[in-house]
Amino acid sequence: MSSQASSLRLYLTCIRNTLDAAMCLQNFPCQEVERHNKPEVELKTSPELLLNPVLICRNEAERCLIETSINSLRISLKVKQADELENILTKKFLRFLSMRAEAFQVLRRKPVQGYDISFLITNYHSEDMQKQKLIDFIIQFMEDIDKEISDLKMSVNTRGRLVATEFLKQFI
Amino acid sequence: MAAQEISVHQLAQCITCHAWSPDHSMIALCPNNNEVHIYKLSPDRTNWEKLHVLQKHDQLVSGIDWSLRTNRIVTASHDRNSYVWNQEGSEWVPTLVILRLNRAALCVQWSPKENKFAVGSGAKTVCICYYEQDNNWWVSKLIRKKHESSVTSVAWHPNNILLATTSTDGKCRVFSTFIKGVDTRDSKAGSSSDSRFGEQIVQLDLSISWAFGVKWSPSGNTLAYAGHNSMIYFVDDVGPTPLAQNVAFRDLPLRDVLFVSEKMVIGVGFDCSPMVFAADERGIWSFIKYLGERRSSLSGSKHGSQISGAFGKFYGQSKLGASNDALEPSRSRGGVHENCINCIVPLKEGGSSRIRRFSTSGLDGRVVIWDLENQEDLSQYL
Repeated sequence: MSSQASSLRLYLTCIRNTLDAAMCLQNFPCQEVERHNKPEVELKTSPELLLNPVLICRNEAERCLIETSINSLRISLKVKQADELENILTKKFLRFLSMRAEAFQVLRRKPVQGYDISFLITNYHSEDMQKQKLIDFIIQFMEDIDKEISDLKMSVNTRGRLVATEFLKQFI
Repeated sequence: MAAQEISVHQLAQCITCHAWSPDHSMIALCPNNNEVHIYKLSPDRTNWEKLHVLQKHDQLVSGIDWSLRTNRIVTASHDRNSYVWNQEGSEWVPTLVILRLNRAALCVQWSPKENKFAVGSGAKTVCICYYEQDNNWWVSKLIRKKHESSVTSVAWHPNNILLATTSTDGKCRVFSTFIKGVDTRDSKAGSSSDSRFGEQIVQLDLSISWAFGVKWSPSGNTLAYAGHNSMIYFVDDVGPTPLAQNVAFRDLPLRDVLFVSEKMVIGVGFDCSPMVFAADERGIWSFIKYLGERRSSLSGSKHGSQISGAFGKFYGQSKLGASNDALEPSRSRGGVHENCINCIVPLKEGGSSRIRRFSTSGLDGRVVIWDLENQEDLSQYL
């Protein structure tokens, strides 16, 4: 399994370096609406304020989209889902997190279409949090999410087996 | 590096811009809100005393400039207004300047003669403001329809007529700002004084990304500005046939630049350490070095704890504590500043145009004063 572990490391290092370069945000008031200051990556009203999005794929099932604008950055993740059980676990787990998005500050309430979870980082976050810590948080999150899903899957399977055993005992 | 060459002052949580009084005893800064704080350094040079809080704006103050001779402060804000503050006795008295903008003002600078100031705005225009004696107020004249995006920075040529601007459409432009009755036609200034107000002298289309932080060299012969694609551009012979040099560097992009001499430029930005660029005897510009040592170890996590706290709620603190050796530890940037530097201001010695000291401020709330006097390796460029 070492090759898989190293491929994960390469994937995460690539995302870390891209985030490091992309997270150069500044306060920038809206050009279109008077007295507004909104994340340009969400509004997309002025094309010149957006940079080219970067898509980093580990394989078909796992990818990361990084969209950058002058005052905000959006990171969307697609988590690996090998079977239906993983699919349903991922969906439920990430929904649980998204519902508590304000506790995470940088979590977006709704993922971008085609992705499982999205983060939105604005210039206000980069003003009161250290940039490296923010990047560390995203990377840590990506590392842990796979572990978390496989743990959940394992416990569901174990429990299923246990229940089946208990149930079938009565027929012995 | 000797300790006395850098002095660090933590004055706020986060600073958007700052400016010095003519004698450098006071500093005006915006602590990332709608106020401007004026601090005075105590006589023993150890602590700062907050003298005034200028409260008139109702949104973030984006630009401050303090005039050297007339001792006036001009502020620009995202609330679309600008104020000129005059000191009367111990109070600062504001005068509202009607900029006639419908979007945020982003930057402001006094002209060298201090009879005009320029404001760049998110309305894709530049305002040139001058004082009208008859009406006793500041009048704003707009340069319209030339910029295709927000104007991020403005810089006055020493001749008081030419104005350079950078904007988020990636262009750098030079305009004539001749205003009848304010400026006089000067035969020495050459062709630049013949043009009308708002006439575009040159448009430089060097950057493919946003452009920031334009500055003229002390003589006005060279123009420098930064692009968001980690490039810095030097332009000689600004006019019909400009000569441009692009210098790419390997680190994060710059936000602002400063000419220390004709041959040396300091750039500050997202990389947290000021970068020195210099021209050799043939006039070729290159990156020389960083100012301030680059720390290798990770500093204490004061700000980061917030987010890991939220993380811990869901994952249990023990998991977070386990260090993760699969990944290389994150590279810590900077040394003296710990976050993006967004403002660099020269500290001019009285009377002379010599610049040996300058100050930087950034999102980490620090004002750092740098001294180039004892840097042997840089003295050839000063």
